[in-house]
Amino acid sequence: MLQAVNVSMASLNLTTLSPMLVAVGGALLILIIDLLKKDMTKSLYVMLSVLILFVDFGAVLSLSINERGLFDLMLIDGISIVSQLIILLASMLFIPLALTQKRFHEYAYPEYFALFLFMVAGFQFMVATDNLILIFIGLETASLALYTMIAMHNTRGSHEAAIKYFTMGAMAAGFYVMGSAVIYGISGTVELSEVSKILLERMSEAGIALPIIGASILLLVAIGFKVSLMPFHMWTPDVYEGSSAPMAGYMSIVPKLAMMVVAIRVLSFYIDIGMEPVRYMVIALAVVTMTFANIMALVQFDVKRMLAYSSISHAGFVMAALALDTTKAYSGIFLYYGLFLFTNLGAFTMLWITRHKQKKYHSRFHHPYEKFAGLIHSAPMGAVIMAIFMLSLTGVPPFSLFWGKMYIISATVDAGYIWLAVIMALNSAIAAYYYLKLVVYMFLKPKPEGVEAIGVNSSRPLIVIVGIAAAVTTFSVFLMEPMLSYINYMVSVSGY
Amino acid sequence: MIGLGHYLILASILFAIGLVGVIRRKNLLMLFFATEIMLNAANVAFAAISSYHNDLTGQMFAFFIVAVAASEVAVGLGLLILLYKKYGSLDLDDYTMLKG
Repeated sequence: MLQAVNVSMASLNLTTLSPMLVAVGGALLILIIDLLKKDMTKSLYVMLSVLILFVDFGAVLSLSINERGLFDLMLIDGISIVSQLIILLASMLFIPLALTQKRFHEYAYPEYFALFLFMVAGFQFMVATDNLILIFIGLETASLALYTMIAMHNTRGSHEAAIKYFTMGAMAAGFYVMGSAVIYGISGTVELSEVSKILLERMSEAGIALPIIGASILLLVAIGFKVSLMPFHMWTPDVYEGSSAPMAGYMSIVPKLAMMVVAIRVLSFYIDIGMEPVRYMVIALAVVTMTFANIMALVQFDVKRMLAYSSISHAGFVMAALALDTTKAYSGIFLYYGLFLFTNLGAFTMLWITRHKQKKYHSRFHHPYEKFAGLIHSAPMGAVIMAIFMLSLTGVPPFSLFWGKMYIISATVDAGYIWLAVIMALNSAIAAYYYLKLVVYMFLKPKPEGVEAIGVNSSRPLIVIVGIAAAVTTFSVFLMEPMLSYINYMVSVSGY
Repeated sequence: MIGLGHYLILASILFAIGLVGVIRRKNLLMLFFATEIMLNAANVAFAAISSYHNDLTGQMFAFFIVAVAASEVAVGLGLLILLYKKYGSLDLDDYTMLKG
């Protein structure tokens, strides 16, 4: 006779689950509304999604720090709260971009918004746990929704982009589960906090280093695919080019940040047990990513592809901070993504505003540099705002990313890696070339004859989003103090 | 007597077969099969290690992998049908719009 299993509700601590429940419940609500009444306007779904994300945001803010719940599966520590807040902020800025002047295929389906909320829930699960199973489930929930959303853009390019991302993602999943299998094999548990305790005891055994390093390589490959580090970056520019501009902007922030948090959890335990080779591997990956992505970005003709390579290079920059394993460096990661969110989403939204159904300027690209020639004459405001985003990405002082870059570089110097800091600074200098190239096109090139205004897709919500992004980018100097102290506190209470 | 080592060797061989398949295959359907082989290699490893440690976590993980693999195939085949309708081919070399 089997014993009845008794679990008290209090021990489950379901409040740790509340943010994800809000997102999943909201997605189901959208599906139900669609079932009950067809042909509702898309602005209803947009507003509903924003509202749900807002409630979700509140639920995250009301979580108490360093709690576990649901049979110790959920882990609510400081970095999981900070990363969830950044993810939700990016999502709230992303979803109003559906309210465009022109009609696009994907926004006609309510399922798009439901999928979007499921994806957000997936990313939240990914960052709010240290259990390898739940990380995997969250990762795949989010990725499968993301592939579908890319394909729903319904152009030739977007189908190709979706299939490319899908095959690369499936391969990354294979590497991830194999890496988890090795970790499970040597430690007998899949909870990373337990794993590091057990491995610390077993470190002296002969022949244990080989499987530990092997697992780290398998997991690093999986992380590399998702964060798009250099040897595994092949899909990134193609996928960004094929998907819609806001989607590309979103992909350059949220999936990368979520995987970065997983990387923090995995790598910090490797560094804890004293596996220095893993640290060197991460530094090597970061340096290669920064440098080669920058060189590739120099030769691009399309602004969107240039931004894709630039976001690869930014990911490499942040990856370098990951290897340092100091509180300052970990805070730097979140600070950087918190600032990068506004700048990069703003830049991609500017591309979205200029989106035209026909490719008038180039046989293949939607946003070649020539399209922006002489923008200062036709749309002075747009040109200035785009220039602010480009200068911020370069790292010019008053604008937001300068502070992020400075903070990470100073953390690198503090940790004693002077040569790494020099490489990071040099890369920022190289990057200035391709960002400023766009500024030169906008401000100094003459406007081509017979071209009408390019802001064909602009609408009030899009302008508001760009305005918010530009305002945060410009006045970030006033935000630095509160943001830094909050992030620093959150990272240090989680014990990193 | 077949021990843990044999299962792990089998798992790594399967993983290698899957990896080579993903890299070498040009047909999308074959590529999907290869990724499935990679996931199932991990399943074999998990089940074997789970019985070796006398701990159910690994088998639980294997079940989750099976479920995820199934949903991945559902999404993947949907995309594949969409592409076949557009291009009339499943060969990766025919999808040449995005490159460079």
